[in-house]
Amino acid sequence: MTGIQRAPGIAWVIAESTAYVARIPSGPIVVLTGPAAVIWDELMTDADATTLAARVSARMSDVPPDADATVKQMVEHLLAEGLLDQSRADQPD
Amino acid sequence: MLNNVQGPQVEIPLGVRLRLARAAVQAVADEAGADILHIKGDAVDSELRPLVRPGTDVDILTRPAHVGRLDAALRAHGWAVYSTFTYGSPFGHAQTYTHEQWGYLDLHRFFPGIEADASGAFESLWSGRMIHHIAGVDGAVPAVSAQAVILLLNDARSRRSADAAALWRSVGADRRSEIRSLVGRLHAEVAFAAATGDLESQRGASSYPLWKVITTGGSRAAEWRARVRAAPTLWQAARIVARAPAVNVEHLAHHHGRPPTRREIVVAFFARPVTALAQFIAGLRARR
Repeated sequence: MTGIQRAPGIAWVIAESTAYVARIPSGPIVVLTGPAAVIWDELMTDADATTLAARVSARMSDVPPDADATVKQMVEHLLAEGLLDQSRADQPD
Repeated sequence: MLNNVQGPQVEIPLGVRLRLARAAVQAVADEAGADILHIKGDAVDSELRPLVRPGTDVDILTRPAHVGRLDAALRAHGWAVYSTFTYGSPFGHAQTYTHEQWGYLDLHRFFPGIEADASGAFESLWSGRMIHHIAGVDGAVPAVSAQAVILLLNDARSRRSADAAALWRSVGADRRSEIRSLVGRLHAEVAFAAATGDLESQRGASSYPLWKVITTGGSRAAEWRARVRAAPTLWQAARIVARAPAVNVEHLAHHHGRPPTRREIVVAFFARPVTALAQFIAGLRARR
């Protein structure tokens, strides 16, 4: 899990601490709140997954001891949903 | 933390939904190989409308030759026609679609007020296009001056003279020069004059009566007469006359919330001449 980007065919908008992520052209829209929205926002600006947990924790209050594992689990979930894509970022241009 | 709106219902802010809808429409256009320009609403440059008005639907202008392929692709991706080019507006310029996920889309095949050939006008706008990032997707918008022309013509048609005046006052001398130049290339002088409060300078133009009715109001009969006079060819004028007495079946369907019955269409057909006659009599009285 080094470089992670949004998957092809995904559009997204962040508004008021919420990430709205949509499969285009037909939907649906997935709504990410709380740490999930922060994870999405961070990955859209920096695909480096090795520093992701630290970046997310820096933006959150009341960070639990297992924050790293939670971030990893959420990213794996977004990958499994097909909203994120690990392979594209790992491929040379 | 993660909610799928097709499962538990979550309210999506209108502005967010419209941006995602633009991205969805762009994906359909890309797949169909159709050239589109995003116009109005949140596609407008902040130089022209510092306060973004997201609007209530998505508006796009497409290359006229690509209307058929885009229409087919939209329908294939769940967009249903809400009102057609024929009945959507008296200009016949736009077709409205609706999608259960994205809401409403107005597909323009030309823009009212632009009297140049639709294909040539689109090419003029397309050649100056800028890339616009929409919800993570790249789309195209007209150049800022072209956006200003579209907004001014739209304000004129919608009788928003205050908005048009505010926009015209807000742009600098160089931008005004660019706008006037483009208005000339698009043959949009009459509608532009209507937008900037100078319509009387166009009294001799064939489309002057139409924009006079649009901007100051008038009976339906007067609007149709003006529309026939403004038609650039006899063939188009004949089509407008042929459409004038027809019943707008889509309007009836939306009014009733279901397809109209044959009887309702017949009743509406005969009601129209009555309405026109009433307006005619009112017009005669007003002249006395």
